[in-house]
Amino acid sequence: MFNRRTISIIKRELKVRLFSRTFIIMTLLIPLFMFGILALQTYLIHYSGGENAFLIVAAESQSVLDNVQTELLNTPKDSDGNIEFMFEQLSNEKLDMRLANVRNEILEEKITGLIFIPDQALENKKAEYFSKNPNNNVLLNKLRPSINKVLNDMYFAGKKLSREELDYAKNNVDVTGFRVSADKEIQEEGVGNTVLSFLFTFLLYMSLLFTGQMTMSSVIEEKSSRIVEVLLSSVSSRELMTGKIIGTSITSLAQMAIWLSPLIVLISTTWFALPPEFTLKLSMWHLIFFLLNYFIALITFLGLFATVGSIFDNPQDAQSGIWPIMMLIIIPFFIAIGMQTNPENQIARIASFVPFASLIVMPARITLVDIPLIQLVLSIIINIATMIFVFIIAGKIYRVGILITGKKPKWSEVVKWFKYNY
Amino acid sequence: MYALEVKNLSKYFNDIKAVDDASFTVPEGSVFGLIGRNGAGKTTTIRMMMNIYLPDSGEVILRGTKIGQEFKDKVGYLPEERGLYKKMKVMDCLLFLAELKGKTGKQVERKAAEYLKRFDLAERKNSKLEDLSKGNQQKVQFIASVLHDPEFLIFDEPFSGLDPINTDLLKDIILEKKNERKVIILSTHLMDFAEKLCDHIAMIDHGRIILKGSLSEIKTQFAQRNVVLEAEGDISFLNNSDFVEKVESYGNSFGITVKDTSHAQELLKLLVQNNIKVNKFAANEISLHEIFVTLAGKDNDNV
Repeated sequence: MFNRRTISIIKRELKVRLFSRTFIIMTLLIPLFMFGILALQTYLIHYSGGENAFLIVAAESQSVLDNVQTELLNTPKDSDGNIEFMFEQLSNEKLDMRLANVRNEILEEKITGLIFIPDQALENKKAEYFSKNPNNNVLLNKLRPSINKVLNDMYFAGKKLSREELDYAKNNVDVTGFRVSADKEIQEEGVGNTVLSFLFTFLLYMSLLFTGQMTMSSVIEEKSSRIVEVLLSSVSSRELMTGKIIGTSITSLAQMAIWLSPLIVLISTTWFALPPEFTLKLSMWHLIFFLLNYFIALITFLGLFATVGSIFDNPQDAQSGIWPIMMLIIIPFFIAIGMQTNPENQIARIASFVPFASLIVMPARITLVDIPLIQLVLSIIINIATMIFVFIIAGKIYRVGILITGKKPKWSEVVKWFKYNY
Repeated sequence: MYALEVKNLSKYFNDIKAVDDASFTVPEGSVFGLIGRNGAGKTTTIRMMMNIYLPDSGEVILRGTKIGQEFKDKVGYLPEERGLYKKMKVMDCLLFLAELKGKTGKQVERKAAEYLKRFDLAERKNSKLEDLSKGNQQKVQFIASVLHDPEFLIFDEPFSGLDPINTDLLKDIILEKKNERKVIILSTHLMDFAEKLCDHIAMIDHGRIILKGSLSEIKTQFAQRNVVLEAEGDISFLNNSDFVEKVESYGNSFGITVKDTSHAQELLKLLVQNNIKVNKFAANEISLHEIFVTLAGKDNDNV
């Protein structure tokens, strides 16, 4: 499989991919894109719309109203959106009338809404909000703590409790995590490794998809530009596929090593002192495992992507063929992300030994918990076996598909290709 | 001694028989034509000879041993469907394809430059292939097939899409290679080219070899009672003549079959008597085109 011809093809792939402007651009762009997506996600979740609001705050009792007024006006204003209040006392019976009164103004959005705190709220903490858009959680979230505080204070005021007792009741329990591991003394656990496992998972996910798509389109290009027949007059289809996949994998591995180089500097030197809550429990072995695992993942998934590329002769048709492979990457990605709340959940444990899923879940798991060596070795063996299996199947489809052009083949036809004597 | 022997090759695609028990031999130092209409099985046969497809049955023998990977290094192949890496530069692409054949170094580069100059492409060696015209890309592809100085040259429809000047240039190089005692196999549906270039042929139709051997022998075998005529004037009266079996028009020329070899003289006399201006009268001659139409046109006229 590895001979002069395969090496020539690897060399060309490296020349085209590794030593190209695209490589430099992508190496910079993918992390930017990744953090960009994260930043965008965070921004969108917290985006309030930034509008100004005009609210009527009504309470049945004057004392509740006064307290809420003091509390709300004392709340520091935030940057997005200014809320103006109008406070008024309103009895339960007059609520309907008042609503009919302001109905048009609410519909015309001159008044954003009316929040009504009945006396009952002092017992059941239930208030009512009338608006054209009652699901505006951003707005309600700004009001809720103040109203809650007023109701709490007024409720406990009659109970003869001290301020300390009250504060104690209001405080949530704070659990500090300590990691118990085989070889070290017990250490306090920071969020560093959680961040890291998230980073590993995201990098793996993004670059497998990117590289996969890239490999697929390069196979489609060779097929549709018909150069493949010239190549096959010199090399076998297996040599061609192997050379292409290894060349692309080396490029992608180099890219990953560049991305991880800050981490290598971080853990191998004492140049940078991280705050204790971000301290990383990470050794060089983690990174070596990660890169080895990534290389196996690349060859496995690129084999699949190249196969899909060989079946179709244009990118549009190929889209229908890649979704099963995308699922093999996306589902483990969600498992790995979900695992960060509990790294030892049953699904994560199983997934880290399931072919394909293991490649994405295991790297995230080893950054969060200590995995016995035997399990790591087992997962590598499973992954290498999967890789070999994929390569055999991919080779069989590839050698037939690469020479077939014209109409989009049916899956049943692709199955028949296995039996072809090419 | 044969350079290549093709023995009982068969290839099915699903239930369609693309090549059916094809056997023929390619002598050393010959220009061999694999001729047949579109879809007859030429490309599939060539792909099996190149070891790109494995045959369902049969084998290809190269100078006594079955072909394998080592054959690929000795062969230059110009496929019918042309294609190159569009984003690569002309010279880089040529050198890469030569490297796959095991040829590297300054010598190959020098030779590539020579060929480029010959095809009037010297100034384009650093252009990307996508910037070249289709005809020029085809020339680069042709250079790629001969650059590593192969012993065998396989050209699938080499002349399609070339202008007359480059067609002649290609023909010159093919004849040059012939003089260097290389084995040249070309497939074509253009009978005129085959007739001018090839000394041996195999004619394939519906996947079966229907005719094979040396071109001159084949022509002698088919030429009896046949007259090739180029003339001015209406010759339709020949259809009513007692000794003419059939008259076929090929545009500029006619193929006339007489009932007996001795009738050729009478045919000439008759033409002169009828004031026909005879430009060419060749008795006992037949064009490959006529043979092809006679053999392959029987069940289907779509040639």
